[in-house]
Amino acid sequence: MSAKAMSLANGRARKRNRLAIVFVAPAVLFLAIFVMYPVFYNIYLSFTDANLLKKNTSFVWLKNYKRLFSDPMFWKYAYNTLIWTVFSVIGQLALGLAIALVINRKMRGGTLLRSFLLIPYVIPAVTLALVTKWVLNGDYGIVSLLLQKAGVIAHRQSLLALPKGAMAALIIVNIWRSYPFPMLIYWAALKSIDPELYEAGKMDGAGTMRLFWHITLPLLKNTTIVLLVLRIIWTATYFDLIRMVTGGGPAGSTMHLPIMIYQASFGTFQTGYASAISVVLGALLFFCIVFYVKKTGLDD
Amino acid sequence: MKKLIALVLALTMILTLGAVGYADDNENKLVIWTNLTADSQTAVLQKQFDEVAKEMGVEIEMVTVAFDDMYTKLAAAMESGDTPDIMHTTEGGSAYLYTQGLISPMDDVIDAIGRDDFVESYLRSITVDDVAWGVPDWALHTSVWYRKDLFAEKGLEIPTNWQELEAAAEALNTDSDGDGNIDVYGFAVPMAAVQLAAQSYYEFLFTSGVYTFDPATGEYNFGNEKEKAAHVLDYMIDLYKKASPPSSTEWSWSENRNALVEGSVAMVLDMGAVIGLAQTNNPDMVENLGCFDLPGENGDKQASFGGGYYFVASSQASEEKIALAKEFITKLYTPEKAAERALSRPMFAYPSLYSAFELYKNDPAVAQFPDEIDSIFDAFEHNTWYRYGMEAGLSQMASQIEATTFFGEAIQGVALGMQTSEQAVDYIDSQLQVQLDVIGQ
Repeated sequence: MSAKAMSLANGRARKRNRLAIVFVAPAVLFLAIFVMYPVFYNIYLSFTDANLLKKNTSFVWLKNYKRLFSDPMFWKYAYNTLIWTVFSVIGQLALGLAIALVINRKMRGGTLLRSFLLIPYVIPAVTLALVTKWVLNGDYGIVSLLLQKAGVIAHRQSLLALPKGAMAALIIVNIWRSYPFPMLIYWAALKSIDPELYEAGKMDGAGTMRLFWHITLPLLKNTTIVLLVLRIIWTATYFDLIRMVTGGGPAGSTMHLPIMIYQASFGTFQTGYASAISVVLGALLFFCIVFYVKKTGLDD
Repeated sequence: MKKLIALVLALTMILTLGAVGYADDNENKLVIWTNLTADSQTAVLQKQFDEVAKEMGVEIEMVTVAFDDMYTKLAAAMESGDTPDIMHTTEGGSAYLYTQGLISPMDDVIDAIGRDDFVESYLRSITVDDVAWGVPDWALHTSVWYRKDLFAEKGLEIPTNWQELEAAAEALNTDSDGDGNIDVYGFAVPMAAVQLAAQSYYEFLFTSGVYTFDPATGEYNFGNEKEKAAHVLDYMIDLYKKASPPSSTEWSWSENRNALVEGSVAMVLDMGAVIGLAQTNNPDMVENLGCFDLPGENGDKQASFGGGYYFVASSQASEEKIALAKEFITKLYTPEKAAERALSRPMFAYPSLYSAFELYKNDPAVAQFPDEIDSIFDAFEHNTWYRYGMEAGLSQMASQIEATTFFGEAIQGVALGMQTSEQAVDYIDSQLQVQLDVIGQ
């Protein structure tokens, strides 16, 4: 290749690289400004006594973390977060899978049914919270009245006024609201399973349950892992419903870490302390992300 | 062409960012924030602001900021240097702005309106070291709102101490249909974690003379009164167990007021908003409602829970603009305007000016409650009232209590049998001390 051709080729390559940088730059800039900067700034704040009431901030090293881990309320709220997350996610996945199995069959009005089943996912959280409070009102809520008549709760009592009842009610509402996502993903995964596998299983004499346990479930393993990790992250950080329905009550029984962070930030204006709590919550969720990345092969 | 498109997009982005950060520096425009969100109240405010703006030849922008969002938005506005020129807010909002050094002294405005026309207790609540940091608009007073018809039916007198109150509450528990369940409870004790639990508890605490800060010295006092505070909490929870609906542990204001208006509770602690609610939702109930002051344990009431709204002016603008804001506020204080603002929430809001009060009590919206109005206004004039944390004047502590749930958690814990009153009070004391540290008081 002549020197002139080489120079021309190099010039084109440089131009391509420059163009590539131009195309990538907005995304990188976006990530840097809206993801990296907040994350690192939050970590920095967690080592300070930053407070919205004070103009000056000083470095306090691990003081916020020491205070957090020695606060019995943190452990109580962390436990609440665990209960909220575990039961919500299990419920969402189980219900999502069950309904996906139903809608995977050929049936009349299937499209309409699938659309109908997606409704919970598009209901705004504030509407859901208001309706939840309404139906669970101890005086006139339909669900409360039914439970009162059945003797499950006392006359003019509400699940929302009972520690275990409030958490259970919130988890059920959250499952109802969130199952459509796993349902859709499972449904897509079910569609990709080769029908011949079921045919072969049937020829070997397997019944419906055996087919489900030995073919369907193993083939949904990766989908389940992805869903599990995503739903854990989304549920553990889901704030609106609890905040609007119980505000963390009664007696802190539904208070979870995101509400604790909100209280520390905008209740007592201790942004440094709030940052420490969010770093701890973030670290826990980070392990989930690592697990997700490894399991899905995204690291390759 | 590609370069051109990229350039246009980049330019658009830069212009958008610029627009976001653009601050309105119009010296003839006043930005006014109010925490009032009820249509009836914002309509009156907007009308009056427009009238005064027209009179002064200025431009105004009224922004309604819901109370729940106030601290978040104020903090954000403070960070960006976009605090409003005038704010219409509670003691909590005023205290926040005061501690940040964002508001101007308002004694000159109060003098211009006529200091003697203001009810003294309204001024006290916004004063620090003899300087008033806001102009009182109206105030509210906590009373026991009750069913006069049920009291008459049961032959009950107005209670004069706690023992009588509890006895009356129990006597009012009624099983209307004979199914063994109480259909009308005697006295609601609302305990929602946000605001309600703390406000209910403080009404009882103030009645017994237990304060967060010593009103005379300003020193933190709750920790010295823990035994008394636990005793008060024991009484309140006892009242809940004997005469309040079980689910009232999670009641907020709406459930509390509705219960009285709909007839499922015979007495509630309230600031008079039950009247407006009854006028709208159950007009037949209005004539059955009356109020009395929550008595002291032995009839010797020390103080009650109250609060109010104030106009505060920014100190961050130019001198001319601060003067403009102050002139604007001054013009809002004709007796007619002050009465009209209070009447936008009848029986709930009571005007700060004596001259407005005369117009207020003769208005048809409240004229059927002359005794109740006189009793409440008498309490404003002659009795002591505080907002929590404001016992020694303007303090950030009010907003710390208001925006957190530690009172609610502790009190609900006792109501649900999860802890004793002593443990709850210890926890409240520890959390109050954390807040003291945070606010540097």
